[in-house]
Order: sequence, then structure tokens, then C-alpha cells
Amino acid sequence: MSVKKKIQHTILLHNAVLLCILLGGLSTFFMASGNKPLQIYTGLVLAVSYVAWGIISHAMDGSLHRNIVIEYVLIGAIACVVLVTIAL
Amino acid sequence: MRYDGCMKLGSLLYHYLVPHEHNNHRARALHHESLFAYVLLLVIFNLSITRIHKQAPDILGYATDIRIEKLLEATNTKRQEQGLGQLSLNQTLSQAAQNKAADMFANGYWAHNSPQGKTPWDFILSAGYRYSLAGENLAKNFDTSAAVVDAWMASPTHRDNILKGGYTEVGFAIVNGVLLGEETTLVVQMFGTGTSNERAQIPQVQAKEPIAVQVPQQPAALAMEASAPAAARVAKTQNLPFVGGVHIAPLVDIPAVTHQVAYMFVGLIVGVLAVDAFVVWRKRLVRLTGHTIAHILFLFVMIAGSLSITRGSLL
Repeated sequence: MSVKKKIQHTILLHNAVLLCILLGGLSTFFMASGNKPLQIYTGLVLAVSYVAWGIISHAMDGSLHRNIVIEYVLIGAIACVVLVTIAL
Repeated sequence: MRYDGCMKLGSLLYHYLVPHEHNNHRARALHHESLFAYVLLLVIFNLSITRIHKQAPDILGYATDIRIEKLLEATNTKRQEQGLGQLSLNQTLSQAAQNKAADMFANGYWAHNSPQGKTPWDFILSAGYRYSLAGENLAKNFDTSAAVVDAWMASPTHRDNILKGGYTEVGFAIVNGVLLGEETTLVVQMFGTGTSNERAQIPQVQAKEPIAVQVPQQPAALAMEASAPAAARVAKTQNLPFVGGVHIAPLVDIPAVTHQVAYMFVGLIVGVLAVDAFVVWRKRLVRLTGHTIAHILFLFVMIAGSLSITRGSLL
């Protein structure tokens, strides 16, 4: 496999995993409809999964840096706080 | 002078919203310190809402308007749509529902059966209603009567209770209070079919009192049904005027404020991220940052998911 194809394959894999995480999270949100604590828990798990995906994804393509980790953690934190705000 | 001011504002917005060489090719609004500030601001906002609500619920609270007559009307409308007979409001069942709600607040539980093992049927019998068939629906933290009945109808078990042809009478209690540390408007709906048309030999002390009491909190719904062996006598349906409910109209409704703030906030962040992604793609910039498109998708999913979060719940 050429290097270009290998990179394309890796990107495809990363995107597929992200899609699974997001779709899984979204469907769990709707399945837990009417159960607010479970929905908040789902949101938190989704945020943690997203941060983990971001870190692993960058680590695998060799672009992981402390600033990137901070960025993902902050984006995840913003999403969690927004979720709690809506659930108030 | 005015032109200068506009220019300065334009430069500032450009610096904050568009990636270019002077902000290290990353909109200032997306720098770490900005992101951290957003988290902090939202946390402070949430804490302030909670605190103001506790200190001044009349100013900042949960708008609620649930009334017994509307619950009865909506329940009977749903039954009529299915060709079923109307339920009549029974004072004794309403008293049983009231006792159940009071017990839930007093003992801090959100369940069909109390921690002491009392079942809904115990409340019905102790109120003086003798039944051949009985059922219970519970709801908490809904804001209107229609929302309560719609939620019950959307839940198969609660719907079965509402549309059970065997029931002839119903009672309601709507109580506002603090349940498990949370402000809750509790709605208890009890169904019954009496064993006879005789009045039970139990004093009906509360007959002239409205069934709904005000104590601050949310709605939850519970559905159970039971067919029990016929007991003794049944309390006759009262023909007394029976109105009541919980009506709370704060100056500012908490969900309205929090939703607006949250959606506007995420909208702004997603907007800046979209501009960032576009500029980076257009200028073919190479930067050491996270995946902007992934951030946008993630925030969209979180917001879409949070749209399904409601205060109201059924048990």
C-alpha cells in the first residue's frame, strides 16, 4: 500500500470512528428521552469519548501536542457546561 | 472620529473572529484563554441562576400552569377519541392521590411504592375507596396540563391506564414542593372502578378542600395498574365543585433564559469555527490545532441531543 493510500485509509478510519461516537451518542440521547439524569450522563460520556478520539486521532497521525490536548479538553468542557445549562 | 471608531471595532472583530497573521492564524475567540473564559462564564451563569432562583423564585423560576379541571378534560378527550366513556372526578380518589403526593414529599421518594412498602392501592383503600380495578399515573416537572397528558399518552403503560375501558372514575393531585432536593411539581392521577355505588363509611374530611397544594418542585409520571378482588364499598362520586392546581408565573422563566443563552453561545462558537475552517481551507494554511470540522459536528450533536432534554419525567 502506498503512503498516500495508507494516510487516506487512516483518515477514513478516524472519521468512521468519530461518526460512530457521534451517532451512538445522539441515538442514546433520544432513547433516554424523559430521563434527564441519564441524558446528562450520556452527554458527559459523549464529551469524554470525543476528547479521547481527538487525542488518539492526533497521536496516530503524529500531530499530537499539548495545545491540541488542551483544545479538545476545553471544547469538551464547553459542551458539558452548555448541556448542564440547558438541563437546568 | 466616528469613522475611526467603526474602524477600530471592525479591526477588533476581525482579530477576534477571523484567523490571520496577527492572531497566529487562529481567531482570538478560539484561543485557549478564550475557550477557558467561556467555560468559566457559563459556570458562573449557571450558579447565578440557581442562587437567584433559591433566593427569589418569584423573579426567576419555573413557569407552571397545571390544573385539575384541564387534566380531567384532556384525559376525557383522549378517551372520547377512542370511543370510551368519560371518567367522573371522584373526591375520594383525589384525596388518595393527595395523600400519595404528600407521602412522596415527606419520605423523599419518586416511585410507585414507598420505601416503607406502601403501594398505590394502600393509599386508595385508606382514603376510603373500595375498588374492583384501580390504576395510577405519576408525572413530575411538566409546565402545562396538556404537556402532562401528552407525555402520558406517549408512554405505552401510562396510555394504557388512560385508555382502559374498565375505569369509571379518576382523582388528581397536583402538588408543588421540594422532592429529593429539587423543586418539583408532582401530578398524581388515580383511576378506579368502585365495587358498588354506596358511599364508604369513612369520613370524607377534605371533601370541600382543593386537592392541589403549593409546595415548590417538578413533574413526574408513574403508571401502574392493578386488578384487585372486590373490596367492600366504594366512595360515591362527589358532585362538589372541584378545582385546583399549581399556577406559578415568575417574572423570568428559567428554561427560556437558559435555552436562549446556551443556543446563542453555541451558535457563536460554531460560527467562528466555521469561519476558521473556511479561511484555513481557502488559504491552505497548515496549523497545529484540533480538527475544526470535528469540533463543529460534536457541538451540533450535543445541541441536538440536548433538545430532547425535558424537565418533565414519567416513572
